[in-house]
Amino acid sequence: MGPGEVAAILFGVFAVLVILRVPVAFALGLAVVPVFFISERLTPVLLLREMFKSYNAFVLLAVPFFLLAANLMNSAGITDRLIKLARAMVGHLPGGLGHVNVVVSMLFAGISGSSTADAAGIGSLLIPQMKKQGYDTSFAVAITACSSVMGVIIPPSILMVIWGGLMSVSIGGLFLAGVVPGILIAGSQMIVVYIYAKRRGFPVDTRATFMELLAAIFAATLALMTPLIIVGGIVGGFFTPTEASVVAVVYSLFLGVAVYRSVKPTEIPKVLYESARFAALSLFCIGTASAFGWCLAFFKIPAALVAQIEMMGLGVIGTGVMCALAFLLIGMFIDAVPAIIILGTVLFPVTQHVGMHPIHFAIIGVVSLGFGLVTPPYGLCLLITASIGEIRMIDALRDVLIILIPMVGVLLFIIVAPDVILALPRLIMPKYIQ
Amino acid sequence: MRALLDGYYRLLKLLLTLLMGVLIIPVSMQILSRYTGIIPRYIWTEEIARFCFVWIILIGAMIAVRDGTHFDVDVLPHSSNPLVELIMKLITHVAILAVALTFIRYGYDFGILGSRQRSEISGLPMLSIYIAWPIAGVTWLLFLIEKFWDIFADYNKERSLGSR
Repeated sequence: MGPGEVAAILFGVFAVLVILRVPVAFALGLAVVPVFFISERLTPVLLLREMFKSYNAFVLLAVPFFLLAANLMNSAGITDRLIKLARAMVGHLPGGLGHVNVVVSMLFAGISGSSTADAAGIGSLLIPQMKKQGYDTSFAVAITACSSVMGVIIPPSILMVIWGGLMSVSIGGLFLAGVVPGILIAGSQMIVVYIYAKRRGFPVDTRATFMELLAAIFAATLALMTPLIIVGGIVGGFFTPTEASVVAVVYSLFLGVAVYRSVKPTEIPKVLYESARFAALSLFCIGTASAFGWCLAFFKIPAALVAQIEMMGLGVIGTGVMCALAFLLIGMFIDAVPAIIILGTVLFPVTQHVGMHPIHFAIIGVVSLGFGLVTPPYGLCLLITASIGEIRMIDALRDVLIILIPMVGVLLFIIVAPDVILALPRLIMPKYIQ
Repeated sequence: MRALLDGYYRLLKLLLTLLMGVLIIPVSMQILSRYTGIIPRYIWTEEIARFCFVWIILIGAMIAVRDGTHFDVDVLPHSSNPLVELIMKLITHVAILAVALTFIRYGYDFGILGSRQRSEISGLPMLSIYIAWPIAGVTWLLFLIEKFWDIFADYNKERSLGSR
């Protein structure tokens, strides 16, 4: 059988099962089973072997640890300290709490590597406050979900760890390359909040005094050290990403239990369990997605795709737009992690062929998949914030789309301006990035 | 029966919590041994961490089948007809059952393979890791029997309410 037929079986079975509400991880696993009976040389034991090989990667250990660190920070009340800081910084602008929401997401993104922890932690504190101050619930839900997207773009980022581990791209380089897009997205969202505030007459808080600002900065200093420790540790070559994630866990435990004394030791098992279970869900997907990707590679489907796209004669920008569209589309339906494994590894040779920098490709992929966190039917962050705001996902959709428009502009900018994205990694880690 | 499953489910939860806590130790040891002289440099820390990690993933996946929290995509509209909903639920669970049976059937071969191998660094028998797959298969099978029971019980209850 040729690559075309096998691709049709793999993607066909997968799509039908997912539409029938079969969990994504199981749909991926089931789609590969028939393919293993096509050739005498294949056996379904390969499914288990590929799963084991994908889990047996030291770098992936960073995923549960980054999640654990973020959850510990949430239960230590660090989110609350960051909100107070953001409030002292931007609370007096028109649409105060909207700006606070964006800024606190940016700060929290520098501490955690996950958008869902961001959406849950910030949403549960800020959405009720915004409702009380008279913001539309749909806007509060939408801005919380959209700003949490920065969690995977601003370093550290779980998606970048997975991407770097999978495609052998420098994770330190990816982290540095995420800084500029993250700041641009925050800026674009603050502009949207400003326009909303002017048109809908959102309330304005009184400006914090200089002393209040200083006090807020002081209260949050220890928490804000986290990104320096993690990113500095990795970029400076002191830790591997996995070790940095454990340092983040130990540091947040130290802050929560010893310094702020806001985490009771009896609460820790629950946080451990919640983090492990949530991490296991996306990691389990990695296993079956890897088997799926292995089948694609075995039947030379990526190579066939490269040949197809070569005929279209796209340049770096054209290929970038195509990749972004593909990631946006798949991100609407499945979780970012299996999307990276299936689509990322298929498109990687295509982008290499046209001479796109691996870090540039990774940032396009991660940002596009970040949008998938807030687009239905499968938008995890929007689901979380909508349930906190007690509205249906559909009701927040209009505001989400409005906030997304300038973010798409940022994505286009990322595609056409690789040099801006690569400037920071080139400056700080010139040895690793040509 | 259900009490047994509940106990087994709690045991899995406890194991998952313990493994996650334990996982911090080998990685911290690695850092400590590199930057301080307190403990010698063990090379097995990395391998042990990876193997705990494999078990964390599979135990988490076992638990999530009983919770029904594996990620799925809700695109099809829900029907108010209990029969249609029954069929939809059955399809989902039969698909998970098919994966469970695949894990049991081929997990056996995988386990045989593992019984002949030892790990590269610490020399652990690979069976101790590979066996997680058939165990996941059997665990899902048990949880699915309970699920099928509940699905039919719900359907019968709803039908008897509807016919009244």
